[in-house]
Amino acid sequence: MDYVIEANDLTKVYKSEGKTVLAVDHLNLTVEKGSIFGLLGPNGAGKTTFIMMLTGLTLPTSGTAKVLGYDIVKESLQIRRKVGLLPEGFGFYDHLTAQQNLKYVAALNDIPKNEREKRVDEALTTVGLHEVKDRKFGAFSRGMRQRLAIAQVLIKNPELLIFDEPTVGVDPEGARAFRDLVLRLNKEGKTVMLSTHLLFEVGPLCGSVAIMNRGRFVVQGNVKELIQKLMAEEGYRIRVEGRGNLGALTDGLRELKSVKEVKLEGGVVFVNATSDVRVEVGKMASTYGVEVSTLDLQEPSLEDLFMKYYKSEGIAHA
Amino acid sequence: MPDMFTVASKEFSDIVRGRRFLILVIVFGLVMTAAVATTYLTGIQAAGQPGRVGLPRGFLGAAGNNLATMVGYFAAIMGLALGVDAISGEREKGTLKITLAQPVFRDTLINGKFLAALFAISLATLIASLVEIGSSVLVLGITPTGEDVARLMLFLLFSILFAMTYYGIAAFLSTVSKRTTQSVIIGVVIWAVFTFVIPVVATLVAFVLMPMRFTPGQSQEEMERFAEELRKRTAIMETINSVTPNHHFTRIANYILQAYAGMMSPGAGQPVVRTVSIIESLVSAGPNILVLTLTTVLAFIASYMLFTRQEVR
Repeated sequence: MDYVIEANDLTKVYKSEGKTVLAVDHLNLTVEKGSIFGLLGPNGAGKTTFIMMLTGLTLPTSGTAKVLGYDIVKESLQIRRKVGLLPEGFGFYDHLTAQQNLKYVAALNDIPKNEREKRVDEALTTVGLHEVKDRKFGAFSRGMRQRLAIAQVLIKNPELLIFDEPTVGVDPEGARAFRDLVLRLNKEGKTVMLSTHLLFEVGPLCGSVAIMNRGRFVVQGNVKELIQKLMAEEGYRIRVEGRGNLGALTDGLRELKSVKEVKLEGGVVFVNATSDVRVEVGKMASTYGVEVSTLDLQEPSLEDLFMKYYKSEGIAHA
Repeated sequence: MPDMFTVASKEFSDIVRGRRFLILVIVFGLVMTAAVATTYLTGIQAAGQPGRVGLPRGFLGAAGNNLATMVGYFAAIMGLALGVDAISGEREKGTLKITLAQPVFRDTLINGKFLAALFAISLATLIASLVEIGSSVLVLGITPTGEDVARLMLFLLFSILFAMTYYGIAAFLSTVSKRTTQSVIIGVVIWAVFTFVIPVVATLVAFVLMPMRFTPGQSQEEMERFAEELRKRTAIMETINSVTPNHHFTRIANYILQAYAGMMSPGAGQPVVRTVSIIESLVSAGPNILVLTLTTVLAFIASYMLFTRQEVR
């Protein structure tokens, strides 16, 4: 299997105002080529430091990592040539227009002069800023700034895109446009790493995730598998709606071996079981003459997953 | 890989298009014109009075002190003004993160910034000197000789070096400081200490360490002792002042701009002068040029080393 990121025991210790801060604690991670990977965690969890190390902007205290096969310490320049990074807390030159800012980025990427204009125009068109390309960055709204930052990532046509908190301060429409863009880029074969604490905005895009807290991964893996694991641990939640003798159905379901809990609330039966008992529920409903209109398996969301591991780890330190 | 000229051209363009640069150039031009004009007008006024001689040691020699003093203030301020936000400004605006996210070595960035500052300071100096020479020729009717122009050019060259010394110091402060306001405050304090505090301290220390007694009608022996005390006092002051780049710049300016070495002939009251060649002036200024160059290089190296090792967070 091809991995675009391979981190082994990556650790970062900062010394700040006489104190030692363990920002990243022996992280091990692999990210598959062509995937959308979510680096999730609360503010101060160490996500940005981890990303800074992966792109060679901060040196690790110990451990090793390779990005696109390049060593993060010895070959950071090659990494930054092929990786598009949208850093958190970025900025552009206020007095330059969107186009001028991107042309400078293009020049820094050594894109041939005769190609720069085309690449800049393409990137601006992709993020919907072409019409305001001659407007100064200082006059841009928060959302437009974020889109320009995405454009600077696209300009180098990177193999791997890393977005650190890409939707902070972006309106819902902008967040949706961002999600569409990520999906499109992924379809084109790009690998995307999304670092965020806003799970509901970009979390659903991710095929695999790592949840980070206090500099460590508290859980990582394929989202579906993690959710299955969570359901196995916390129980499968099934919701039944219908007409008929729901009370009898509720009592009947309690007799099933794999059912842990059954509640009847407002004409809806909530079942919590150790396995997916929808077939059994359907059969029993038929037995009790209940006409079922809804029989849903309530899958836990990524947020549930996050909260479960986040809570188990306690509150992240600032 | 982009070279430092990519960064330098963008930085240079930013500097010269900015309002700050325009103000600096205008003020610099006015400062230089005022320095020369004041000297010239004073000379003309003195020449009209009985017993006074106008422009006794050549135009540049007479203007030298004024020019050196005023440029001494201004070139330092120009260097500081351009350097105080070199790194901290980028850090505050977040542009540093975007720039360093590209395939750029940090030394490329800092080298480019230094190069751009050098070009911008040179341009400002060139424009200001053209304004100064032009106004001197057209308005005041002064016609500088070829040697005057050559010396003025050398003076401007060392003014650029001096401004770059302060740019280096400011860029270092900007690299160390988390905020631009911090580097501005420290920069201004350093400038004030070098420009005003240390010369005053030097004078006080010299007066305390080497008290002098002079009474009219002293014997030749006493006069010689007095001259020796005066020499020692001056040496103390120069030693203390030599910790500032300003002192070295003033010395260089004096050597370069004073085409004539003047000396009072004891008893006669008339100046005995001899012409000093440009080469002689440069040789005399050599140690000061070396110190100023080394200070600039050291400030640059310090900024460079610090910046290339800093964490990006």
